[in-house]
Amino acid sequence: MRVGIIGSGTMGRAHAAGWAQTDAEVVGIATVDCGTGEALSAEYSWPCYDSFEAILPEVDVVDLCTPTHLHYAMVMAAARAGKHIMCEKPIALTVAEGKEMIATCRAAGVRLFIAMVVRFFPEFQAAHRSIAAGQVGAPGVIRLTRASYRPQRALDDWFMDPVKSGGMMIDLMIHDFDQARWLAGSDVERVYARSVTTEHPDIPEDHALVILRFRNGAMAHVEGSWAYPKPMFNYKIEVAGDNGLIEFDNTISIPILFHKHQTAAEGVSDVALASSPLTVDPWAVEVMHFWDALTHDKPFAVTPEDALAALQIALAARESARTGQPVALEPLEVA
Amino acid sequence: MMRMGIMSAAHVHTASYAASLKAAPGVTLLGLADDDAARGRAFAAAHGTRFYDSYAALLADKPHGVVICSENTRHREMAEMAAQAGAHVICEKPLATTLADGRAMIQACRDAGVNLMTAFPMRFHPAAVAVKASLDRGEMGAIRCCNCTNQGRNPDNLRPWFTQKALSGGGAAIDHIVHVADLLRWYMGAEVVEVYAEIDNLFYKGEIDVDSAGLVMMTFDNGVFASLDCSWSRPRFYPIWGNVKIDLICARGLLRTEYFIQNLKVYRGDTKQLELQSWASNADQVMVDEFVASIREGRAPAVTGEDGLEAAEVTLAAYRSAETHQPVRLPLA
Repeated sequence: MRVGIIGSGTMGRAHAAGWAQTDAEVVGIATVDCGTGEALSAEYSWPCYDSFEAILPEVDVVDLCTPTHLHYAMVMAAARAGKHIMCEKPIALTVAEGKEMIATCRAAGVRLFIAMVVRFFPEFQAAHRSIAAGQVGAPGVIRLTRASYRPQRALDDWFMDPVKSGGMMIDLMIHDFDQARWLAGSDVERVYARSVTTEHPDIPEDHALVILRFRNGAMAHVEGSWAYPKPMFNYKIEVAGDNGLIEFDNTISIPILFHKHQTAAEGVSDVALASSPLTVDPWAVEVMHFWDALTHDKPFAVTPEDALAALQIALAARESARTGQPVALEPLEVA
Repeated sequence: MMRMGIMSAAHVHTASYAASLKAAPGVTLLGLADDDAARGRAFAAAHGTRFYDSYAALLADKPHGVVICSENTRHREMAEMAAQAGAHVICEKPLATTLADGRAMIQACRDAGVNLMTAFPMRFHPAAVAVKASLDRGEMGAIRCCNCTNQGRNPDNLRPWFTQKALSGGGAAIDHIVHVADLLRWYMGAEVVEVYAEIDNLFYKGEIDVDSAGLVMMTFDNGVFASLDCSWSRPRFYPIWGNVKIDLICARGLLRTEYFIQNLKVYRGDTKQLELQSWASNADQVMVDEFVASIREGRAPAVTGEDGLEAAEVTLAAYRSAETHQPVRLPLA
């Protein structure tokens, strides 16, 4: 099967490194402008296509590393063209679109994988394994934090446009809404959220605190932020069970620390990405998982329905923050 | 010499307050009264002080002030007795478990012309004092929101009444919300106007009849919101009692505070246990000194009964919200 990568931004780059570690035939990278795109395709000696439409007929599988507002149209087009799809998170910007994407892929007989990469981070997998093994009892209160600085892209600053990204509560916090649901082992019943803009009056919120209540009785506190000073990126996991406790903080699990004398200001990456020294980085693990499941007809570790459920929680949180009222969630049904 | 007494040894903090009273210059600890004679006698013997078999007997010795360390729901009767005897009062938190009790305590002390101080030692913690000074200087800019935890072990193995609702008034929420609610009120000079909460017993199902898990969101009259995890979610074998952590997300960045992190990690060979052993300053001593100074100087204490009642009201609103699944406005009707 021939694979085409669409998009050459932060995620296109991360996925490309993963694809290079598979036996897949990468046909090329499609990108709307061939600035960084050319550099990326050249790095791997893959051809550069100047549009999604141009690469689509050449491939059996698309990897959509495009801004969120493009996911719906691209997934629908790829599905109708009979292509298997890996698509960056969030699945879409509305639950209705997400449902339609899943239903269309199902009807077209193509497989859809939403890249919820945090499912492939070993610390989160270890937490899930510990819970599943009964080491801490039934989860009672789950606490997740993902706090970093404002992503800033030189070319198209789509993260900052809530019409394109959904804003921080959708783009960033969706990871931990998914994790909370996964670690709790339950769907969400009720969402209450507050959000604020700390220093970027041009965006609706850059810090939010969300309280989730699950159908199985567990509760979760989820914190998301684009308001931390550069270059901070702090993510934390806490699962308090009725027979034990899991604690994790990325800032105290760092095997290598550079404490350098101050020199001229050094560059900080445009978009904060979690990183810890690993033999294979989580984005590559994710790409390899997708490829393995696709080529060997195995189930995906995270389903589009999971991705949709996370989106539903994120949208409810944004709504609750807007209205100041708790939001009750309806069970999700995909036609 | 200023004479001080202790009313009841029910609370786990009694020992620290007794030690602080004994160490306070110019103060004589008359002794401790307790209607649980076995408990009171054992405490008095262990701390080298006199045991009174009734509160009336202690009050008859005319203490200038008393420390109330009874079970939560009995604070009112103790405070009213003390006030009627003309003794100034410092009362363990939460001040009261109902608004009526809290108001009655404030009124009784006002009528008697004695001070009523709520025992919020966090206000005297050197890190909290430093945070307050920094906020007042404005170096981080305005606070936008706060992410707080005051998580602990279930204390009922130390004192069973903590999980007996008739004596405690509730579980983790009533035990823990007041500390952070008071600290944030003090930091910002703002009052809580709305509370949302999820509260339940998730950690000791079938064992206790009070709540052990709680997530609370408070909104203040300056628009700032603050979440608080007040759960008894540290396992019984956790190496320290718990924590108070407050992240203040401010206009100029993040002010991250953790108040009980001044510990040694001790892997004990004698018990085969890991313990986090504190080497922090004794905030209880500073608090007791302030109580004594307020009496000596004939002024209101730095933390009042009204402060205790405001924080208690936040807790009561949280319980109400958890029942109705709706935000609850303050003041409560």
